[in-house]
Amino acid sequence: MIEVVGLQKSFGNTVALSDISFKVAKGQIVGFLGANGAGKTTTMDILCGCIGADAGTAKIAGFEISEDPIEVKRKIGYLPDEPPLHREMQVGEFLSYAGKLHGLRGDRLTVRVADLIERLELGSNKKRLIGQLSKGYRQRVGLAQALIHDPEVLILDEPTEGLDPHQILQIREMIRGLKGHHTILFSSHILSEVESVCDQLIIVDKGKVVEQGTHNELILRLDGAQEYHVRVRQGALALAEELKTDFGQLSRVTVKEDEQLVSFMSKEGDEILDLVARRVLDRGYGLKELAGKSKKLEDVFFQITR
Amino acid sequence: MGAIATIANRDLKSFFVSFKGSVTFCFLLLLMGIFFRSFAATFLEIQAQTLQTGGEAPKLSQLLTAIFQNLHFILLFIVPAITMSSFAEERKTQVDRLLQTAPISNIQIVMGKFFASAGVLGLVLMASIVYPLFLFKYGNPEIGPIVTSYLGIFLLMCAQVAFGIWVSSMVSHQFLAYLFTSFGLFLLLILAWVAPNISGGGASEEFVKYLAATPHLDNFFAGLISVADLGYFFAFIGLFLFFTNVAVDAKRWS
Repeated sequence: MIEVVGLQKSFGNTVALSDISFKVAKGQIVGFLGANGAGKTTTMDILCGCIGADAGTAKIAGFEISEDPIEVKRKIGYLPDEPPLHREMQVGEFLSYAGKLHGLRGDRLTVRVADLIERLELGSNKKRLIGQLSKGYRQRVGLAQALIHDPEVLILDEPTEGLDPHQILQIREMIRGLKGHHTILFSSHILSEVESVCDQLIIVDKGKVVEQGTHNELILRLDGAQEYHVRVRQGALALAEELKTDFGQLSRVTVKEDEQLVSFMSKEGDEILDLVARRVLDRGYGLKELAGKSKKLEDVFFQITR
Repeated sequence: MGAIATIANRDLKSFFVSFKGSVTFCFLLLLMGIFFRSFAATFLEIQAQTLQTGGEAPKLSQLLTAIFQNLHFILLFIVPAITMSSFAEERKTQVDRLLQTAPISNIQIVMGKFFASAGVLGLVLMASIVYPLFLFKYGNPEIGPIVTSYLGIFLLMCAQVAFGIWVSSMVSHQFLAYLFTSFGLFLLLILAWVAPNISGGGASEEFVKYLAATPHLDNFFAGLISVADLGYFFAFIGLFLFFTNVAVDAKRWS
């Protein structure tokens, strides 16, 4: 549904994108992850036709943005980081205006506006001026304008930025509810958010796509090392020393003496647990807990963008 | 055409929703009223004197010229206030992305903005029709010169609007758009007067004079519509709308 190949963009001497290439399949929610200034917004602006790329191609539903910009814009709904809202307009009036810009007229427009107002729970604010709404409700109006023409592709640039925790959960729920009917490219620098909402991840760093895949694929691809920890009744410090000297296959052995907890990394899979457990029992440290720790998206992200 | 009307309609309504818009509209209408009142009074005074003392009576075209030339000067401050936010404000607040991501062309956006600003000034002129109606209370003036004067001043307004939205499309702050538009329109106003000083005379002086808007209004105030004058205004409007289109497109690549 989205196919981007070799996008490049510079602003003066500043290189914003040096090589952005990725694909997004139909119906997926894909997280576009990167630190501030990594190139997320620039890529999204190019995909939506707001700015032009210096090189590379971007196709949406088979249409190339530089060749068929109007057709691409028919397929895309865009919610930028700052929702493009006319604050002096009422909510219903603004959505009608956005619909007319997308060619909706008459009953089709009226039904679509009413449907979105109901789905995004804007009914009580329909007659209020947008400038008087809270940031959370303004974000909903922004989402409604992006959905007004029922686009195949929805591009959301940090849609929960600046919202309170309650509003963040509401917007996330709304985005999850759109899954299947729309292909969604969703940018954020909040790792837990992307992890909870998206099927696939694209990680960008310094204007380049550095990884793309599911959460599990990224973890496996990056570093086979798995983190484990063992909790004992006594002698955690001595155990850590033994693991360092006698088990060459372990790395990053650390100890928290007050918790009697030893953590280590291993690339050898869960078989290492047998060896460690035997050592703990043989030396009488007293085994309380032995477990593998699942790798978080944060670990993957920092490892890639370090 | 639908998108142009949608944009123009929204911008027009938005203008009157704002305090700035309503004040600008009322201020221009009030000034036009003051001009009509004072020049019509002077006209009637001179007419009465010539009836008593003999001599040539003042012509209606002289009255219209006096009213609309003064209005021309006031427009230097009014038109920039109307056009300054066309593009500059939306760019600053990033609302321009709504239009940029809609399936419409740049020229539709430019035309929509143009018709909105021209519409505001058109509404002022329509509201001001009540003033010349008073002329009929005091006499039986020819209707032709009044209609052509209105047409001429509306074409001038449209040309000024085209220039103003071009400036607004080039800058990122509406205050700068106001300053640059006022300055540019002032240059166009005085071009005819300073032409002899800035050119060596002859053909170049005539050319500089041709660029000025003022001489192209004289025929309209005298009740004449000439193809040359219409051509000047349409070419001016077309040229600056084209420049605006180029500027809007260029912003995508900057």
